[in-house]
Amino acid sequence: MPVLLLVLWVVSAREGWLTEQILPEPRDVLQTARDYVASGELLADTAISLRRVSEGFAIGAAIGLVIGAAQGLSQGARAIVELPFFVISQVPVLGWLPLLILLVGIDEELKVIVIAWSAFVPVALNTAQGMRDVPRTLREVGQVLTFDPWSMLSRIIVPAALPSIFTGLREGLAHSWQTLVAVELFASSEGLGYLMSWGRQLFQLDIVVMALVVVGAIGLALNWTLGRVERRLRRWQVQTA
Amino acid sequence: MIPRPSLPPWRPLLIPLIVLALWELASRAGWSDARFLPPPEAVLRRVWFETTQGGLATDLAASLRRGSSGLLIGASAGVALGLLLGLSRVAERLLGPLFLAYRQVALFAWVPLLSMWFGGAEAGKIAFISLAAMAPAVVNTWRGARDIPRAHVELAAVLTFGRLDFIRFVALPGALPFILVGLRSALIYAWLATIGAELFLNIAPGLGGRLNEGRETFQMDLVLACIVVLGALGIAFSRCAAIGEARLLRRRG
Amino acid sequence: MIRALIAALFGLLLAAAPAFAETTLIRLGYPGVGADNRPFAYGNVVAVAHAGHFIEDEFADDPSVKIEWTFFRGAGPAVNEALAAGQLDFAAGLGDLPAIVGRANGLKTKWLLTDKVHDTIYLGVRPNSGIARIEDLQGRKLSQFKGTNLQIAADRVLAAHGLTERNARFINLDFANAVAALVAGDIDGSFGGVELLALRRRGIVDIAYTTKGDDPTFGRNASIYVTEAFEQAHPELVARVVRAFVKAARFADDETNRDAVFALWAKSGIPVEAFREDFAGETLAHRLTPLIDDYVVARYRDQARRSKDYGLVRKDVDIDGWIDRTYLDRALAELQLEHHWPRYDAAGIKVTDGEVEPTKAAAK
Repeated sequence: MPVLLLVLWVVSAREGWLTEQILPEPRDVLQTARDYVASGELLADTAISLRRVSEGFAIGAAIGLVIGAAQGLSQGARAIVELPFFVISQVPVLGWLPLLILLVGIDEELKVIVIAWSAFVPVALNTAQGMRDVPRTLREVGQVLTFDPWSMLSRIIVPAALPSIFTGLREGLAHSWQTLVAVELFASSEGLGYLMSWGRQLFQLDIVVMALVVVGAIGLALNWTLGRVERRLRRWQVQTA
Repeated sequence: MIPRPSLPPWRPLLIPLIVLALWELASRAGWSDARFLPPPEAVLRRVWFETTQGGLATDLAASLRRGSSGLLIGASAGVALGLLLGLSRVAERLLGPLFLAYRQVALFAWVPLLSMWFGGAEAGKIAFISLAAMAPAVVNTWRGARDIPRAHVELAAVLTFGRLDFIRFVALPGALPFILVGLRSALIYAWLATIGAELFLNIAPGLGGRLNEGRETFQMDLVLACIVVLGALGIAFSRCAAIGEARLLRRRG
Repeated sequence: MIRALIAALFGLLLAAAPAFAETTLIRLGYPGVGADNRPFAYGNVVAVAHAGHFIEDEFADDPSVKIEWTFFRGAGPAVNEALAAGQLDFAAGLGDLPAIVGRANGLKTKWLLTDKVHDTIYLGVRPNSGIARIEDLQGRKLSQFKGTNLQIAADRVLAAHGLTERNARFINLDFANAVAALVAGDIDGSFGGVELLALRRRGIVDIAYTTKGDDPTFGRNASIYVTEAFEQAHPELVARVVRAFVKAARFADDETNRDAVFALWAKSGIPVEAFREDFAGETLAHRLTPLIDDYVVARYRDQARRSKDYGLVRKDVDIDGWIDRTYLDRALAELQLEHHWPRYDAAGIKVTDGEVEPTKAAAK
């Protein structure tokens, strides 16, 4: 099917069914891609975007795991944190953008903070859910075996909660990537989002399409990588069960 | 964990109260720069001012109008596509991978393309919001349609249901819980996209535009006021969605 | 439930459809907004035409024609997008770079008349940023609104001082965002027009450089275009719109109207003093001429070549096939203004005198 679409694209561009402004010729996009790869610009921008995402995601996920775990394990913690967390997470990430720009400016810190925030929410939510939903019976087994809290955590709770935790991580990474593109579109001087906004300002659809393809490809790669890690850890989970 | 006796009911309010108290104290005592952190009353006063005189109601109406148009278009297209993918094996094989590939692209990456295709005015914004609402609707409807119990499908065949009747009486009710989850997601994403569209596309009346205006003119109280409104709306949406979902599911029995 | 959905969709579509009545809508787009996003232009003939209602007056006796102005904060690039999406009929005051970019990418328009030529640009910097000359920009953080005629004007200035866009960090910000970033200290400086003078009066920026007094070809240019589609469908309307713009130009170039013109521009929220300063030592007619003479054509050809050199455009742009002087010539004849504006050849030497006698320095 993708092949069919590609053929359709080439044919329609050649026949001029849609104007140049709506659908660029695949040849142009390919040529543009080649130019940008050759000049090293594409690699540089991609690297910068990836760096931002990894920093932001690492921070956001780490904090999310901690807070999520606290919420999931301790009734008290949950009661305290739940309401403010809920209220704050109701404002879409981008709604916080203007406030953050006023507070931290438009530089790297802004991007990392926004990305971390967008990763934090799903990670925390899913981790809390996962830990809370550990079946009674499993917990009781731990109590019967008089596990100390650390063993309880590592042998029973975490493995049981792992699927949820990973759903959260996967969602967090997807959110991070989304937010990164959005922030780079807004105010940046490098990165894939910047490349896209450059293409838009200079009315060059082929640059936009090229950047779009790269963004999609990386999204796919990130998802796939996380899937592999999850599968590896699942195996470990099964072993410890 | 050993179940505890019910917690003191003020627990959930602990953090908000502390934060509020600190905030008020900081502005009273002059610890914080009033430009960067206006006192809570200032924010509330601003909300009041904007609602009564500042035209916030118009902006809100504009945003909601855009958002609902986009949501309607995106969600209906999404449910339709999801049903197609879930019910027809052929469609799933042909369009499925394409859709999954499309999902990999970050939502906001479509902004430049959409603004070049539809312009940056209402049409472009609504197109973007529709796109945002469509994806979750498709995914969930697809899953729901795929998981309709065989028994129901066979029963429909026995009763020689036409295509449309099948959809109305078997597919939709069968997939309803999933569809509702998808719609709830679509609502959230549509709202996010509405604010995003106002930030990235042409200036027009709207809540996102107001938020941006506050930032550009360094009116922190306006920014915080808009965030308060956004938060309140977000909560209202979740609440409504939950109630609607419960009600629809109850009817289904 | 499905039926309800379909009905709702249908209703939406109907509501969105344009009015099919007998009225013809003329949609003009201007690439810019005034202070606080006010829908007013400044600094050119289009601003005079809009604020002075010249177009509306032209069609005052014709109820079947409606005029609609849209002001785009996204400047030239946003106007291009609207043109591509078929949402505009006239691009009024579109800068040279975005017009060239649009044409290079296949936008089908006709160049009818000029709006302004070599408009001065300024380099506004944060006070205490330590930037005193263009050379000091090396390695600094600046904002630049990409795709606007400001970008190419700034690039030319940089090139003349041995710099390129790569020597500094240029963040893509529109004007309002740039001001916010300047105030917040996120950037060190920004190129801009007369708005920067207004900012200087408020103490927000210092002016480190201006093209005033420097090579006059460094400035910005803008013109008025019509879509080929609209021109083919309504040539009579195009003629009348052009006539209205020429009348506005005649008004704007008259030195006795200087204060009136500044007052019209001040509707944008930029104070009159800023315009006075911007035009000090110049006649209005020096910048505001509707003619597409050899000088203007040479300027645009030059800009097109430079756009390609700076990597802003990837094809060669055909300037000659773009121009349609017929409407302009007709308007000039009807209003008996054929000799009102002087004509210059490609080198900037005056070929024919004009009654309004601007003083134009020889071009390099």
